[in-house]
Amino acid sequence: MATEGHDTLQRDGLAVRKERLYGRLLAACAALTLLVTAGIVLALLGQTIVFFGEVSIVGYLTGTDWTPLIGEASYGVLPLVTGTLLVTVVSAVIALPTGLAIAIYLSEYATARTRAVLKPTLEILAGVPTVIYGYFALVYLTPLLNEVFPTRIGLIPAGVPVLPEYTFVVPSLRTFNVLSGGVVVGLIIIPMVSSISEDALSSVPDSLREAAYGLGSTKFDVSTKVVVPAATSGIVSSYVLALSRAIGETMAVTIAVGSSPQMPDLGNVLVNLTQENQTITAAMVQIAGAESLGGVTYESMFALGMTLFVLTLGMNVVAELVRRRYREEYD
Amino acid sequence: MATDTEDTDWLSTDARLRWQRLKGRLFVGVLVLATLVGVLALAALFAYIGRDALGPFGAEPSWFLLYFGTAVTPIAAYTLYVTGRLRWLGDPHPDVRTVNDTAFAVVFGSLVLGLVVYAVATALAPEDVAIYVVCLSVPPLLVRGYARRYGETHFTGPGTPVSVLFGLGAGVVVAVTLGETLALLVDWLLFLVVVTLPAAALLGSLAVRRFSRRWGYLTSAAVLVLGPAGAIGGIVAGFDPALGVVLASGVLAPVGLLVADTVAHRRGGWPGLLGPVVLIGGVLVGATLERSLGITGLNSWLTPTLVFDSWSSTDPTAAGIYPQLVGSIIIVAVMAVMSFPVGVGAAIYLEEYAPETGWGGRLATVLDVNISNLAGVPSVVYGLLGLALFRNAFGLAPGLVITAGATLGLLILPIVIVAAQEALRSVPDELRQGSYGLGASRWQTVRNVVLPEALPGMLTGTILALGRAIGETAPLVMIGVAATRFSPPEGLFSGATALPLQIFASAGNAIPEYRTGVLAAASLVLLVTLLAMNATAILVRNRYENN
Repeated sequence: MATEGHDTLQRDGLAVRKERLYGRLLAACAALTLLVTAGIVLALLGQTIVFFGEVSIVGYLTGTDWTPLIGEASYGVLPLVTGTLLVTVVSAVIALPTGLAIAIYLSEYATARTRAVLKPTLEILAGVPTVIYGYFALVYLTPLLNEVFPTRIGLIPAGVPVLPEYTFVVPSLRTFNVLSGGVVVGLIIIPMVSSISEDALSSVPDSLREAAYGLGSTKFDVSTKVVVPAATSGIVSSYVLALSRAIGETMAVTIAVGSSPQMPDLGNVLVNLTQENQTITAAMVQIAGAESLGGVTYESMFALGMTLFVLTLGMNVVAELVRRRYREEYD
Repeated sequence: MATDTEDTDWLSTDARLRWQRLKGRLFVGVLVLATLVGVLALAALFAYIGRDALGPFGAEPSWFLLYFGTAVTPIAAYTLYVTGRLRWLGDPHPDVRTVNDTAFAVVFGSLVLGLVVYAVATALAPEDVAIYVVCLSVPPLLVRGYARRYGETHFTGPGTPVSVLFGLGAGVVVAVTLGETLALLVDWLLFLVVVTLPAAALLGSLAVRRFSRRWGYLTSAAVLVLGPAGAIGGIVAGFDPALGVVLASGVLAPVGLLVADTVAHRRGGWPGLLGPVVLIGGVLVGATLERSLGITGLNSWLTPTLVFDSWSSTDPTAAGIYPQLVGSIIIVAVMAVMSFPVGVGAAIYLEEYAPETGWGGRLATVLDVNISNLAGVPSVVYGLLGLALFRNAFGLAPGLVITAGATLGLLILPIVIVAAQEALRSVPDELRQGSYGLGASRWQTVRNVVLPEALPGMLTGTILALGRAIGETAPLVMIGVAATRFSPPEGLFSGATALPLQIFASAGNAIPEYRTGVLAAASLVLLVTLLAMNATAILVRNRYENN
């Protein structure tokens, strides 16, 4: 404010000092968030370094056995990473198309009234505690999926002469399995995909739509060939963010997917979905529930946390970069 | 497309156009289907959990008929009347709807708030709560009084928060020295301090604003009389006199003020007061008839045992979640106290203070990016932060209320900041410029112009974040919070417990009734709590958006 010598207009010293004090206090609140980040990094780094003093980093990254709590402990992170990937892939199959379709519907087709009902509903879908999703998957979804899906699918119908009978055996789901865990994680991230994508779709200016209509496009053409391509950066960034959320999802997969890490079976891919597995997050929860303070196993939890942190942070940064780099600017 | 004229008829014979139309319809069909997947998944979740928790198939058809007659039909008819859809009754007075909304909010809001305060204060020891209520409210009130009496503002502005801190320190000292002596008092006397005094002050100041200074004093006096009267009522009727105090001064008094206010200022809106009466009365009449007619009701797991008893891992019918429920509420309160002021402060800095250019501007950009990255950090990693910070660095015991609250507070901090930023951004710049034009400083502008305008939005965002956090489980597991405790936490430094943790811990219980009954009911309680918080947030938003 007026500081250049206008003594009469200047606030007295006390008032200026008070202003400065408030400004500093508020800045301190904002700076606290930097401290939180620093705290997370330091906490993870400290124990991770100790951990890698005792377990080789190569062994950690390439080991195919994760058995920290039984017998001779082995710390190979690969089965946890593949377990996490499996769950994420299933959730992606559920959530990415569904989320995008919901976003297109909300942004291009739905009436204001439908939107007013759908958006809060989706918010509730995202707000249901993940522990309840896990319980839902374990107690209701798995039995349901087991009932709905046939155990054998005849690729060549039985009874056709000459041809040999060939049936494809679909293994039934175990109590803990990747499929139902992945499905509920998919449900959890649907609202994230749909809300961020919808923001991207609705920020495409109407002039583009009108121009396309003017050229004789149908609504279908406008939606799929004009609006969606124009919003690609936002959609991709919503995908990456949602997948990062799926990777970090903890309670639903801990309850529904179980706690026995498996390397993927490359022979029969479907078997991977029906059997028990373990994700990075679930392994952390398992150790936290079992281990007391100190020891290599305790430190391994932080190494897993570091892995998870790097993975999700990387994805979030990528999402942000995609959004900034490939954003179409309209004026 | 429905308006087929001759022209389009001729066009639609074209196969290509027909294909185009089909394609469009299929596309919309797919989109609607996808949307339904989301909605139906949510419906299935609620349906399954509701079925197992409430057991509606165990009830006789006459049970449904009974409640349909006593509760559902009257409240439905009443709602239709209030919204003006029952034409033959005549249009309702325009005030009816406002009064009705306020009546529901006051009745159920004060009821829930009163019961929560009663449960939490009983768990934390009423004498401690009473001490802190007095110590935290008297110093700032003295400062305010001094400021008003002498018109002095230089030091009383910063003086208020400093006096609160002073009060906190004094509270600790008093609690240590006098706590045990005060514990000898009967509980209901302490609840007079915890509930009746604040209610008298609050309702009194409301009455001053709505009526006059004299009526304000009379209202306060009436509340102060109602408190002990409630205690006497409790003693006579044979329930906890402390609960009587809470119900009389915390629930009855605000409802009474609402009635008085309606009679005085919105006389035409009086039918709006009947809403809660119709609802509660209908349910009570239904319950009485159910008992006297001997109708088999719901085969529900959502019983008083579940809500008011402590856990049993061997007998499903004796399992309760009272300690976990109260523990969750206490954690949420700690979380709110920790994250709201800091989050709002950070948001104010970023939106109102941070320079746009230069080093300060760069710092603000870094802070913004940092906050959005923090929001993307998995919650389980926050658990590790809590573990390393509070257990390793500070050497606290595992799983304390204060650690749980602080860890979750850090977890929701970025969400609170972003919500507060949005609320601040929605305040029009004209208001700020008007304030500057009148000679106000930046802080005065923020304090007197921007904050009041942005507060509802901030509250909405914070309540939503708290609702999200009440279901957080992973960080609590990481910092070693115990799932099963047989009594609620007794203080900030006592072991915490939380409802979602109990659900997690018992999902693997071998007795099937846990999975298909107790846990469903516990999940339902958690879901209802969450929905209630969301509804509160939406109410706050709607109420202030309309004004």
